[in-house]
Amino acid sequence: MTDVELHLPPDVRYVGLARLVVMVAARQAGMADERLEDLKIAVSEATTNAINAHRRTAKPAPVVLAFGPTGSGQFAVTIADTGPGFEPPPLEAHSSRDWSLENGLGVTLIRGLADDVEFRREAGMVVKMRFSVDLTGDGAVGD
Amino acid sequence: MELTLNHRKEGDRTVLEVGGEVDVYTAPKLREKLVELVGEGHYQIVVDMTKVEFLDSTGLGVLVGGLKRVRSHDGSLSLVCNQERILKIFRITGLTKVFPIHDSLDEALQDSE
Repeated sequence: MTDVELHLPPDVRYVGLARLVVMVAARQAGMADERLEDLKIAVSEATTNAINAHRRTAKPAPVVLAFGPTGSGQFAVTIADTGPGFEPPPLEAHSSRDWSLENGLGVTLIRGLADDVEFRREAGMVVKMRFSVDLTGDGAVGD
Repeated sequence: MELTLNHRKEGDRTVLEVGGEVDVYTAPKLREKLVELVGEGHYQIVVDMTKVEFLDSTGLGVLVGGLKRVRSHDGSLSLVCNQERILKIFRITGLTKVFPIHDSLDEALQDSE
C-alpha cells in the first residue's frame, strides 16, 4: 500500500498536527488505543528532532513524514529531515544516565515505544519506526 | 489542545496544576511558570498532572529542569499522575527513580519528603 506523505513546515507548532494526522491514519488501519498512545509519543519525538534539525540550520525545507500500514500487521512511520543529522546516543542502562542532561530522552522513548526503529543518514536523518497494529509486548491483554 | 497552568498554595506546598498537551511547542510556558514560581520563593512544588492529555520528552526535560531548580534551594518537586500512558514514559526513561510520583494530590500533600 502506498504511504501517505505529510510535508510539515519546520516550525514546532506543527508537531501536534503531525501527531494527530498519523494517529488518525493508524486508527483507520485498526491500531489498538494503547498502541496509538505509544505511536503518538514516538511521532512527537522524531518530528520534534527533525524540526529542530531544520531550525538549527535555518533551512526552510519541510520535514517529511510518510506513513501507512505495512501489510504484515504493522504500521510504519518514516520521518525525514535534511538537517545535519545527529548521532543516536548509544543504548545505556538507566542507572548510568546523567540526569543533569535535560535533553536526549526522545531517542530513548522512541526505542522504548516502537517495535523497531532504524536511524539512517541520507540528506539528513531518516527515522523509520514500526508499530504492531494489535496489542503486543508490554501491557498486552488477551481477548 | 492548549496547555493550561494554575497554581495555588496548600499549606507549605505549591500545587501547580497542568492540563492539556505538553510538547515542544507548549513546554516553554511550563518552563517559564516553574522558573517564575521558584523565583518567587516556591521551593516545595507538587506538579499535578491529572489533567495532562499528552506529555513527551520535552515536557520531561522541563520537569527535570524544575527539579534541579528547587533542589538548589533545598526544595522538592513531586508529581501527581495516575494515568498509565504517562507513567509509562517515566518508566521507560528511568525518571520514576528521580521524581516522587503519587497517585493522588492528597497522597502527595501527605508525603513529608
